[in-house]
Amino acid sequence: MDIFAGLLTVVTTPSLLGWVLLAAVTGMVAGAIPGLTASAAIAMLLPLTYYMDPLAALAFLYVIGKSGRYGGSIAAILFNTPGTAASAATQLDGYPLARKGLAGKAMKTATISSVIGDFTGDIMLILGVGWIAMLALRLGPPELFGIYFAAFIVIGSVIGKSVSRGLASAALGMLVSMVGFDPITGLERFTYGSFDLTNGLHLVPLMIGIFVMGEVFAQLDQGLQSARPSGHPPDDKAKNRLTWQDYRHCLPHVARSSVIGAFIGMLPGLGSAIAAFVAYGEGKRRARNPEEWGKGALEGIAAPEAANNAVSGPSMAPLLTLGIPGSTIGAILMGVFLIHGIQIGPTLFLTSRDLIYSLFACGLIGIALYGLIGYFGAATIGRYIIRIPAQVLYPVIFMISFLAAFTARGNLFDVYVMLAAGVLGWAMRKYNFNPAAFVIAFVLAGGAEEAFRQSLRLSDGGIMIYLERPAALLFIGLGLAALAFRVRSLNRAARNAALEDA
Amino acid sequence: MRAPVWGVGAVVLSLGLAAALSALAIPLGPDGDWGARLFPLLAAAALILAGLSEFRSDQRGMPSEGGDSRKVITLAALGVLYIWLIFQVGYLLASPPVIAATLYLFGVRKRTTLIVAAIIVPLALHLFFFRLLGAFPPLGDRFDILDHLTFL
Repeated sequence: MDIFAGLLTVVTTPSLLGWVLLAAVTGMVAGAIPGLTASAAIAMLLPLTYYMDPLAALAFLYVIGKSGRYGGSIAAILFNTPGTAASAATQLDGYPLARKGLAGKAMKTATISSVIGDFTGDIMLILGVGWIAMLALRLGPPELFGIYFAAFIVIGSVIGKSVSRGLASAALGMLVSMVGFDPITGLERFTYGSFDLTNGLHLVPLMIGIFVMGEVFAQLDQGLQSARPSGHPPDDKAKNRLTWQDYRHCLPHVARSSVIGAFIGMLPGLGSAIAAFVAYGEGKRRARNPEEWGKGALEGIAAPEAANNAVSGPSMAPLLTLGIPGSTIGAILMGVFLIHGIQIGPTLFLTSRDLIYSLFACGLIGIALYGLIGYFGAATIGRYIIRIPAQVLYPVIFMISFLAAFTARGNLFDVYVMLAAGVLGWAMRKYNFNPAAFVIAFVLAGGAEEAFRQSLRLSDGGIMIYLERPAALLFIGLGLAALAFRVRSLNRAARNAALEDA
Repeated sequence: MRAPVWGVGAVVLSLGLAAALSALAIPLGPDGDWGARLFPLLAAAALILAGLSEFRSDQRGMPSEGGDSRKVITLAALGVLYIWLIFQVGYLLASPPVIAATLYLFGVRKRTTLIVAAIIVPLALHLFFFRLLGAFPPLGDRFDILDHLTFL
């Protein structure tokens, strides 16, 4: 019932609806610009939300995340350049369709599938999140540390090409988060006598640096290769009409992929890209026409797009119930909660229940809005994006990053932090480290350390407490198993590649 | 710019060792408690292990071919100069040369574009962030044009 009260709140507040509409458009455009991700757009726009009330701020960024995930498909289909990592799977069938003059049909398929996937994910979140929060209330510090441990390992090892570099990224994020006063003893850590460092590094400039400035540097490094869209938006309306006959074969794929995406979304760190490729692979395996996949099958667009967007809602579950962000967008939203003085975790559903369900309602309305705008306007958006010169866009983003970092706290030291984080973000991209793992670990480290030290106090300093508590042991075991599985699968892939070379 | 795998491993290992040494320099708690050191030491240990495992790794995770790191270093240096300039003469005067230089680095060569962007972009961002949103602008220590252009 809470969700209906939330929906009523949203539809009776025009300003809130306005923010959701603006977010739907902004996210779609940001996602559709090659090289610019929804995470970067959210990090850049985060300072705007300081001047908004908490619900509008959260809804604005949450809906940008949703429509940004969808917007990536526009670039993938029209420009053969995935706007986001997840839409690379959509590109496989989307661009061949565009080359046949069927970009409009492909984009309509992507829109409907994204909307169905997103609704499925959100409904699962709304139905299940209260239940997860109730369970989470029963967890003690050892179990929470077990979850944090598993999250660190999964986030560090599963994404990216190198396990050791992913884990190094996560460890570096943890270390950087410890700069400043120790919250328990008040002792200074890693401050090296600098007054500016005693308050620690602020999340906002760090994220702007890693995601936005890092991307600007990466684009300059690569000569804007991935940021120069060229393509042919659809002009033959009759040929691009999507009929029921066209779409009905996609429905089983959309249903299956939505469930796959929602399940993967609940696991911290895996995210949209993995969901999209798993759904694509599973869809092709079960398809009636696997030989057409990769050459322009509508089902090959529907499956990854549904999974990609189904991730969005469930990825909020670990954030809202445990305070553990499962994605970079979740990490940024966690920052917004904290900025507005809202403590996230299982008690959130006791202290800010109305706000949370209103946020979910904004999500549902946001899905409907980006669905409508995308169905009727994606081609128009594509035409405008082709006209934006990347040579001008990235310098403007460079300038905005400085202001966005400064306005976070009105502190020029934060701007230095942003710039340094930008160089770090670029270097991490260049050497296949994992910027997302770095930021998520930065956000998680405080809670993980607190749970770890509370556990040690509970057991009077004994580390055996983690073995005596079955749930804690289970989570730690899951983390280690994920690491072992990942190392094994990478080694197997390397052996196969070596055999092929020989 | 193709760094050997051991180079990346050496950097990660050095960072881990430096972090471990810094963690050991954190003072002990009132009753000799290692609490404040523990987590930094664990993270440093993870970095050291990751660095060591890089020495055993094969060609996976090598940097992509090509790229122009010199341009990136130039832009980063320009960023540092920009912050220093903001300290000296405020946002509005510091920004025009920096946006023009950034556009030039990204390959814009048309003089009109450079001049128009140098005027329009800082002004538009100033109006948006400092007028519309009401954020307080960074003022220059030596001189700031906002002291004279009060209508902005």
